Amino acid sequence: MKKPLVIALLILLALALLAAMAELPAVGQADAPVHTHVSARYIEQGEAETGAHNLVTAVLLNYRGMDTFGEVLVLFTALCAGFAVLLAAARNGNKHYRQPPAPQESGAVPVIAVSPVVSFVVRLLAPFIALFAAYVILKGHLSPGGGFQGGMILGALFIALTLVLGKQYSARLLPVAWRPWLYALAPAAFLVVGMIGLQLTGYFLGYPQEPAWHGVREAMMVTLEIAIGVGGAVLVASLFLALESD
Amino acid sequence: MAAALTVSWSALAAWPHWLIVLILLPLGGAVLTPALYALQRRLVPWWALLVAGLTALTVLPLLWRLAHEGPFSYLPGGWARPYGVELRFDEFAALLAAAVALLAPPVLLFSRRYAARAVPAGRLPFYYTLLLLNLGGLLGLAITADLFNLFVFLEVVSLSAYALVAVGGRPVAELAAFKYLLMGAISSLLILLAVGILFALTGSLNMADVAQRLPALATPAALTLAAAALLVGFMLKAALFPLHNWLPEAHASAPGAVSAVLSGLVVKAGIIGLVRTYQLFAGVELLDTANLGAILVWLGAASVVMGSFFAVFQHDLKLMLAYSTITNIGYIVMGWALASPQAMLGASLHLFNHALIKTTLFLAAGALIYRTGLRTLEELRGIGRTMPLNCAALALGALAIVGVPPTAGFVGKWFIALGALQAGRPFFALVVVFGALLAAVYYVRIINAFYFREPEQKAVVTAREVPWSMLAPVLLLALLCLGIGLLARLPVEFLEPAVARLLDGRS
Repeated sequence: MKKPLVIALLILLALALLAAMAELPAVGQADAPVHTHVSARYIEQGEAETGAHNLVTAVLLNYRGMDTFGEVLVLFTALCAGFAVLLAAARNGNKHYRQPPAPQESGAVPVIAVSPVVSFVVRLLAPFIALFAAYVILKGHLSPGGGFQGGMILGALFIALTLVLGKQYSARLLPVAWRPWLYALAPAAFLVVGMIGLQLTGYFLGYPQEPAWHGVREAMMVTLEIAIGVGGAVLVASLFLALESD
Repeated sequence: MAAALTVSWSALAAWPHWLIVLILLPLGGAVLTPALYALQRRLVPWWALLVAGLTALTVLPLLWRLAHEGPFSYLPGGWARPYGVELRFDEFAALLAAAVALLAPPVLLFSRRYAARAVPAGRLPFYYTLLLLNLGGLLGLAITADLFNLFVFLEVVSLSAYALVAVGGRPVAELAAFKYLLMGAISSLLILLAVGILFALTGSLNMADVAQRLPALATPAALTLAAAALLVGFMLKAALFPLHNWLPEAHASAPGAVSAVLSGLVVKAGIIGLVRTYQLFAGVELLDTANLGAILVWLGAASVVMGSFFAVFQHDLKLMLAYSTITNIGYIVMGWALASPQAMLGASLHLFNHALIKTTLFLAAGALIYRTGLRTLEELRGIGRTMPLNCAALALGALAIVGVPPTAGFVGKWFIALGALQAGRPFFALVVVFGALLAAVYYVRIINAFYFREPEQKAVVTAREVPWSMLAPVLLLALLCLGIGLLARLPVEFLEPAVARLLDGRS
């Protein structure tokens, strides 16, 4: 009885969603409001107003910089939330906390030896992957790419290296003492760049528009891209390490 | 002298950047907390308290400017609306911001001793980080005038809230947090869907701009879906009946200080979201907003009755308080949806007052659990003799939430009841009275257990008052519960024009 009811409700919901979607302007329709209202100005004046040759970056770091600041904070929140539930709940004076699991018998966790081929290839490719990540991060404000994408590549590289070379190596790559500062890197960079913008233009996250300040504007955006990239990489890497230690 | 002071105040309030500082302080403070913990771990609780205190001070010039100039905007990056993201400080943003400002410092002061015991040591820095992120996210959500920005801050608030429920590490809390996460994710998804539809329809994300462009549209199904998704999404966040299922366990099993923030402030994010939804769709003739209002009035009334009804049968003190939150969310939504000036005024007042009262109650309950480790009324009987000050604060908070006349809880409910009569719907005034009577039943049970029963548990007999750094915030908040009711004129005068503007459909 319950199943047909659920199916009927799902069909009803799907019909409602489809009816609404049918009314939305078709994808690519030139006179749709998404193309004629706010975006029109982004496309016509974006490059001149923001100095970013990639319009996605123009929206991301300039027009809607507050959103990107918020997104970076969401990532930071996710990282802290992950730590807050993953880190061992060691006893500290309250009987309600569950004991940490007993140390496992040796051999219970199978140690998979990494094949020499995989190890060699990962180590061989590592510098190139890192170079590609840096390219994606820095090239972001000229062409498709940017901090978020490049950061993920860098983070994936870190995970591959940790799997191949072991945790001692990852501790050298990402020193424990630096980690809390690196967690904060991306949002802190937004704070600093935002404040510099406030000094220069009178608006938080503003960028100086005068041609003479062109270099400063470039430097501010590149700083943000790098911070987003490195911060993203650290996020992926740290969550991986926290999961692994559990 | 007085004149000079006034001048310097207005000069201070005229500094244009207070609004951005208001969110940068807690968010920036949160971001640096893990690093500070690595350097000097003993400083972290004081750091969090300092950040909360400074944030609270930032609200003062904002309120001053709002009272003298009316709502004002801040444009990050200097991009004119609707091209950039707009922040806007209006009366409803001010309401939530003032509640955060008032409650954040006591909660963090209380946390210093409380969290040291309730939260595993390795997770402590993230407890403070998440708490500050949560408060900063709430402030951002209150002041943003942009739909997508609202979603971003809502995610900061929600993510930190899920983790804070589980941070204590008890399996019950972890399960409750997971349930909360699932419901919260559904609600976020619905809100994002609605934002996407509205963007596709109008090409804009600025709330005022969208509200201006919506009435010209001829797409009833898409508009209905957007409105419904926003409504259901925010109702879930606010835990309005019948979407309240996740709340009691999550709020009852979280650490005490977290319960206070969740019940007092985080559910109000859903209410603010409902207010913004109303502002968006108020001018749309294709949608019958009166119909939407009628549904919300009934759901609010059902929330009042069902919340109280469940609370009466609880044995766990914190579960009782959690169900009472559902009741009070019901009052607020009902007041809003009645859409008469006085009911809206009452709902706005109650939003603030309930935050204050519920924080008091949850902190006081947290203090009892901190000392005794006991949670049910049966076990806690007689605790009024060994922890008299703490129990007095709890009793005062209980009187306030029932709505006994001079306390904070009375004003809001009074105006909602008057508003129901003003709207010509006396039935809902009866609901207010009925809810208050049911509340009296379960709070009388609490007071009876604490003061008029013999203690049985050893932990109760040997209990002492909690340390001053925990007791002082509880007592202060309890006194405010009493005092703010007497000062109700000020917020009423402050909110009246805002409510009138909202009812006229101008935002």
